[in-house]
Amino acid sequence: MKKPLFYFGLLLILPGLLFPAAAAGALTAGEIMERVDQTVSAPRDQEMHVKLVITDAKGNESHREMVMMQKGSDRRMVKFTAPPEQRGIAFLSLPGGMTYLYLPAYRQTRRIASHVRNQKFAGTDFTYEDMEARKYSADWEAKLLAEEDGLYRLELTPKEGTVSDYGRLIVEVKAGIFFPVKIEFFDKANRPRKVMVQDKLEQINGYWIAREAEMRDLQAGTSSKMFFTEVKFDSGLADEIFTERYLAR
Amino acid sequence: MKKLARQIIEKNRLVIVLFTLITLFLGFFLRDLKINPDILSYFPKNDPDVQLFNYLGEEYGGNSLAMIVLENEEIFTTETFALIDELTTRLQLEPGVAYVTSLTNTLDIKTDEYGFEIGRLVDTANLPRDPEALAILKEYTLGKEMYRNNLVTEDATATLIICRLQTNSDQVATCRRLQEIVAEVAPAMKIYYGGIPFMILDLHNMITDDLKILIPMVSLVIIFFLYLGFRKWEGVFLPLLAVAISLIWTLGVMSLLKIPLSIISNVIPVVLFAVGNAYTIHVLSRFNEARIARTNDGLATALYEVTTPVSLAGITTIAGFISFIFGSYLVMIQEFGIFAALGVLFTLFISLTLIPALLALKREEPGRKDKAQRKTENTGITGRIIPGIEKLVTKRPKTIVWVGIFLAILALTGIPRISRRINLIEYFQPQAGIRQAEAILEEKFGGSGIIQVLAEGDIQDPAVLREMEKMEEFLLAQDGVNNSQSIVNLLKELNHAMGEGKVLPDTKEKVMNLWFLLEGEEVMTQLVNAGRTEAVIQARVAGSLEAERTHELVTAINEYIAGVDPELVKFSQTGMPVIYRNLDRSILRSQFQSLIFAVFLVFIIMLFLLGSLAGGLLGLIPILFTLALIFGFMGYAGIPLDIATVLVASVTIGIGIDYSIHFLSRYRQELAEARAQNLPLETAVRATLNTTGRAILINVFTVAFGFLVLIFSQLLPIQRFGVLVFVTMLASGFSAIILLPAVLLSSGARFHLRPVACRKAGIKKVK
Repeated sequence: MKKPLFYFGLLLILPGLLFPAAAAGALTAGEIMERVDQTVSAPRDQEMHVKLVITDAKGNESHREMVMMQKGSDRRMVKFTAPPEQRGIAFLSLPGGMTYLYLPAYRQTRRIASHVRNQKFAGTDFTYEDMEARKYSADWEAKLLAEEDGLYRLELTPKEGTVSDYGRLIVEVKAGIFFPVKIEFFDKANRPRKVMVQDKLEQINGYWIAREAEMRDLQAGTSSKMFFTEVKFDSGLADEIFTERYLAR
Repeated sequence: MKKLARQIIEKNRLVIVLFTLITLFLGFFLRDLKINPDILSYFPKNDPDVQLFNYLGEEYGGNSLAMIVLENEEIFTTETFALIDELTTRLQLEPGVAYVTSLTNTLDIKTDEYGFEIGRLVDTANLPRDPEALAILKEYTLGKEMYRNNLVTEDATATLIICRLQTNSDQVATCRRLQEIVAEVAPAMKIYYGGIPFMILDLHNMITDDLKILIPMVSLVIIFFLYLGFRKWEGVFLPLLAVAISLIWTLGVMSLLKIPLSIISNVIPVVLFAVGNAYTIHVLSRFNEARIARTNDGLATALYEVTTPVSLAGITTIAGFISFIFGSYLVMIQEFGIFAALGVLFTLFISLTLIPALLALKREEPGRKDKAQRKTENTGITGRIIPGIEKLVTKRPKTIVWVGIFLAILALTGIPRISRRINLIEYFQPQAGIRQAEAILEEKFGGSGIIQVLAEGDIQDPAVLREMEKMEEFLLAQDGVNNSQSIVNLLKELNHAMGEGKVLPDTKEKVMNLWFLLEGEEVMTQLVNAGRTEAVIQARVAGSLEAERTHELVTAINEYIAGVDPELVKFSQTGMPVIYRNLDRSILRSQFQSLIFAVFLVFIIMLFLLGSLAGGLLGLIPILFTLALIFGFMGYAGIPLDIATVLVASVTIGIGIDYSIHFLSRYRQELAEARAQNLPLETAVRATLNTTGRAILINVFTVAFGFLVLIFSQLLPIQRFGVLVFVTMLASGFSAIILLPAVLLSSGARFHLRPVACRKAGIKKVK
């Protein structure tokens, strides 16, 4: 199944930079994206509550809440806490692309496949690929388009061998903290597909985080918005949280 | 009235200018005239079945399925899948397309010993390339019932892309763009386009072509017969002018009112050309009579005198068309009735105003020319036919009556053979591309029609889901119903993935857990509502279902629904079979209603005109005989009742009654003359035949052959309509001049008609 630990991926690009920005020098596009990648993978662990509002094409809203925990960059646990009918549904993602799903009504854990990258997660407009903790600097060719009002505007195209559902990205990075605040996704025929905006930036425990993130699907007319609360960084999450046994608890 | 007539003659130049201005004004709007070939849009909005159909269309992403079949030696190749993916993406982006379903985007649930996956059949960003992977994909796909013969044929030589079109969009424009995209992306592939939206696109093209071809053709036919009848260009030009102007007015008014042409109102031009020229001809003959003085007074009198008979002829025809306004199920038949009637009214009005005004421009005496013309007429076609009829009628009136009775009875035995055609696909000629596409869709993919059952209840309740499952099984057990789709199958697959077998989950909690996994998937919006209180079961149905089978299917499903506990779940069905069933019923009902209306109308008019019950009954004879012949002909010639042929009875009565009216009016005058001179009944019949009889004959030929032009239409119902009107115009014309006099002669005094002296000096005698 393609419903892996999506939200974690998003988190990875959210946290702020641990270190203050290097003295302003003329950075290349590649260097800027490297700094972004560093920002994303900075915290040792993180835990937060997420409120999710999904709006369909007709304007109907549905709400979900979950707790997300992550250790390093490849161990993640997501547990849904609301609505009541979804309470207890949990995903565990482990290194090597292993993902497990727990459904409380069945008291069963199943491994789910997650190799198809362009699938939506659990009803959101974020796909697997959007959620991945990917290293932009490694997989994408960056080109600096503009630098103004404290924002770097970069165009990213996939490097040879990079598998992506997108043909091109336009990323806006907040200078100084190297935090991506907006990503425009274009499909392979260069039509605008989606746009993600990260808002309400805040520094917690020295890491930057956006309190709100919204993804809008420009073609389907749907949108998904996440609100992050009770954010904790480096609180020393135990290893046993990231086990199959913990899924059912 | 007389004053008005005088005004028209005196201020003839003003009248001409005024009419020119009106025509220019309305003609200006002609370019905005739209064509709406979508017959679904003409179903009455107050029919609950139509309401449900539209509701499901709006809420669940369109119920118009535009179907595209791609044929290839082998579908399971990397190239073909890349192509399907490209098409799917591009078609999905088209405005007016709600959803696209194809092999590359359909939701797929894979289960194996390690776990499961909710995704697509293939990863489109990373299509399988080596033969082994393709072979595995093929085996997997063809092994699943939801794909086999649904999205890809068993032999893997054809695949289907289904585009669900938004309900309130310009489907013709959307279909055109879909074809353009397919032609661009897959130029080398063998493609078939089917389903109702593509049928409607083809209908649109055919209507446009028909208008371009049929109007010039009917004009030529009318010119031919008018020239044959009059041997004078004035007699050809003026009737055509009157019809052309009224056509501009009628279509201009339609355009102003934003009422588009439908596949039925498309024939209005032909109807007007065939029917409308008669009024001008009457006016023309009257004005050309030698006794009419070329003064304002003389011309005004002529106009006044001719107004009543011409109006009466027009009013009966209008009434025939108006009969469609009452009790017609399809709005387009009502529209046809209204605008055909309006067109006739305009023609009538123009014939009595503009035409006299134009004639008043010319003041020279028609003189001897008129007589010379009559002589040629006597030797023309009518000159050959009338004497034969005269001989026949006077020598063997009883035989004619008996033959008439025999023919009528024989015709009546054909009625049970009349079939009904309600399917859209039946409108196309056998060689039409769309028929081929539909045949392939039916043979390989279970049809292009759609049948929908709405379930109302707590959709996450396993008991409700089980009822839906049973309903689906019931549907699939019906002959002609295939490929059902609902939330049930997805839940069963996921339950299987959770290790509990391919059955519905046994608790609501489990359903809700699985639901979580499906939420946000596009297909969900086509299957359930956001509140989870409604779900749709959808199946495909053969597009060529017979009327009888359609009734059976709808009834069987309704009976099944009646057996389900409504407290638990309330089912209701809609879709093409229900819509077609309603259409079929309505055709029978409107046939019956408009017939009753028309016969009643004939009787009343005859009663009024002839002032006696005997006259009313006499007038019914040619009409009843013609009606028997129409239906007998339909039965024996295999012409089915459809949305166009259902119009024939009333149209022909409205037009055909004129012949009886003209014949009997004249007969009474001749009868008075004969009585005065102590001559036998026969004399009056002979005299009537030689005067009015000949005029009737010319008109019969003009109208009949005018309508016969419709056989060149690309639409089968319109072709059949043309043939049928042709046959029935001949029947009503000849029955008025053969059967009617034969009845008069053989019944002697039984049908006693009061003779009427020539009240109006205007009625000219011809020896």
